[in-house]
Amino acid sequence: MKSLLLRLTLFLCAGLAATTAADSELVVAFLPKSKGNAYFISCKAGADKAAKELGVELLFDGPTDSNAAKQNEIVENWITLGVDVIAVAAENKEGISTALRKAQKAGIKVVTYDADSMPDARSFFVNQATPQGIGYGLMDEAARLLNSEGEFAIITASLTAANQREWQKHIEARLAEKYPKMKLVAVRPCDDLKDKAQSEATALMSANPNLKLILAICSPGVPGAAEAVKQAGKTGKVKVIGLGLPNENKRYVHEGVTDSVILWNTGDLGYLTIYAGVALAKGELKPDAKTFKAGKLGSFEIIGDNIMLGKPFIFNKGNIDQFDF
Amino acid sequence: MKKYFRELSVVAALGAVLLGLAMFAPAFFQPQPLLSLVTREAPTLVVACGMALVIIARQIDISVGSQFSVCSVCAGLLAARGWPLVLVLPASALLGASLGAINGLLVAGLRLPSIVVTLATMVTLRQGLNLFRQGEFVNMPDKFQWLGLSQSGGQWTLVGAAFALLIVLGLAMRHVAAGRFVYAVGTDAEAARLAGIRPGRVTFLVFIFIGALTGLAAIMNIVQSPQVQPLSGAGLELKVIAAVVVGGVAISGGRGNLWGAFAGLLLLACVSPALTHLHIEAYWEKAIQGAIILLAVVADGVRSRKESRG
Repeated sequence: MKSLLLRLTLFLCAGLAATTAADSELVVAFLPKSKGNAYFISCKAGADKAAKELGVELLFDGPTDSNAAKQNEIVENWITLGVDVIAVAAENKEGISTALRKAQKAGIKVVTYDADSMPDARSFFVNQATPQGIGYGLMDEAARLLNSEGEFAIITASLTAANQREWQKHIEARLAEKYPKMKLVAVRPCDDLKDKAQSEATALMSANPNLKLILAICSPGVPGAAEAVKQAGKTGKVKVIGLGLPNENKRYVHEGVTDSVILWNTGDLGYLTIYAGVALAKGELKPDAKTFKAGKLGSFEIIGDNIMLGKPFIFNKGNIDQFDF
Repeated sequence: MKKYFRELSVVAALGAVLLGLAMFAPAFFQPQPLLSLVTREAPTLVVACGMALVIIARQIDISVGSQFSVCSVCAGLLAARGWPLVLVLPASALLGASLGAINGLLVAGLRLPSIVVTLATMVTLRQGLNLFRQGEFVNMPDKFQWLGLSQSGGQWTLVGAAFALLIVLGLAMRHVAAGRFVYAVGTDAEAARLAGIRPGRVTFLVFIFIGALTGLAAIMNIVQSPQVQPLSGAGLELKVIAAVVVGGVAISGGRGNLWGAFAGLLLLACVSPALTHLHIEAYWEKAIQGAIILLAVVADGVRSRKESRG
């Protein structure tokens, strides 16, 4: 019964797509890890904008939870439907790749964004951030706030997690290279727990009276550190920045406890992904390209088969309310 | 004196750590940050009290971390809907008690081993919560923080409440019949049954009790900041089991007390801030905590061998 209903829906969709195909040449299908997730909804906002500018039809569907099997099912449906481009944020790198290869065989152009599949299952990956970009971005922002002078501490998720170590390595490299008057006094793990980050930040402040800034490189660490600074009555005296999500930090950014939250611009990520997918389908984007121009956002670097979104985006008091994820 | 040797040795270790800090890092004792750190441990103490009871009854509950997360998120959502604290608090305790009752029914009713039952409920609750929230924070109304009091007022209230609970429970375990029943069941369930105690019922109630305490602790935690992280209880089970074991409660049941668990909790909790104050790398944190647990277990092992040789 369920599958009958599904087929019927698909048939209707196909009919719709066929009628719209008359005035918009291409159909682009955009698959998030989870469609209710605010992060992907904000990616979709950029994707919608790009689709409108390019005059293509955008299909948006995804699992209601982060479900790898459901992603495969949706891709299979899109293959049956005969879309022109599929853009995927892969929940499971290996898992999705079989379905994507099948799509490529059917002549559909495939790009990935946010989380990559196996390289042979897609043409390009739209890479939202490199570890170096993030590490340098965080360190430069810390230096800007402290006028390149003073003590700071890092709160990390765990001392052993690969991505955290990678970011920390680039932060330290940038520190050594550019900011001799700044000093990293401690690195404390918070186990990805906001509450532990709060305790760690409290102890960091009392143990280091000259501490000027706390830099959290895991998302729960940013609001955790901010709450500790606020409770210690050190708002403004000890600044807080970090890698995090706007919604978790809005309150502290508006209170002036947290100065900046760093991530990538999710809207731009969606926008660039659609532009890349459409260019690929039109044959304008070749496998050996070195740069790619995406509408109003201008030119992006391509390294290998990764289209680089570029510098991380800084959320602060002025712009954070425009983002809802 | 000799009877409490095990607990006193933990207190002595704690005293030595604090003395060392007083000598090398007196900034540790600044009142305001110290109060904040102690307040952060108040909810943990409440769960540790429940865990002590469970382990004394010769059971274990590793689902408390997940229960804590579920209660925190549900309480946060109720608060966000405008429920006042006087309703959210009992609702959370009741939810915790119900989750505990599931464990209790499976362990006492079906006689399944508690480590397997609570492992299953731990995973189920945690994954259910992940599915439901996908890690998204719950924002609560401002008036909720610090129970509507000032920051220091709220902190003292939370610390005072946890401490009062510890004293009442600690005394009850020794002087009230129900408390003695827990020891009796943990020492020898069959003997307890012959003495007219119903071990199944005691076990069932102990699981409900730790659930209710976990629900209460969840509230004591979420009032300390304006937003709830759905992951908030992750690892809590290990923290409280470690505290209880370090405090001299025998994992084989029937022995130990809440005072020891309290000292064990303080000893383990001060490792992290102590390292920060002594400017020692964080790598040592888990290693030292592990060594403390190991030492405690070895001490218990040596003691029970001596006793059995008698």
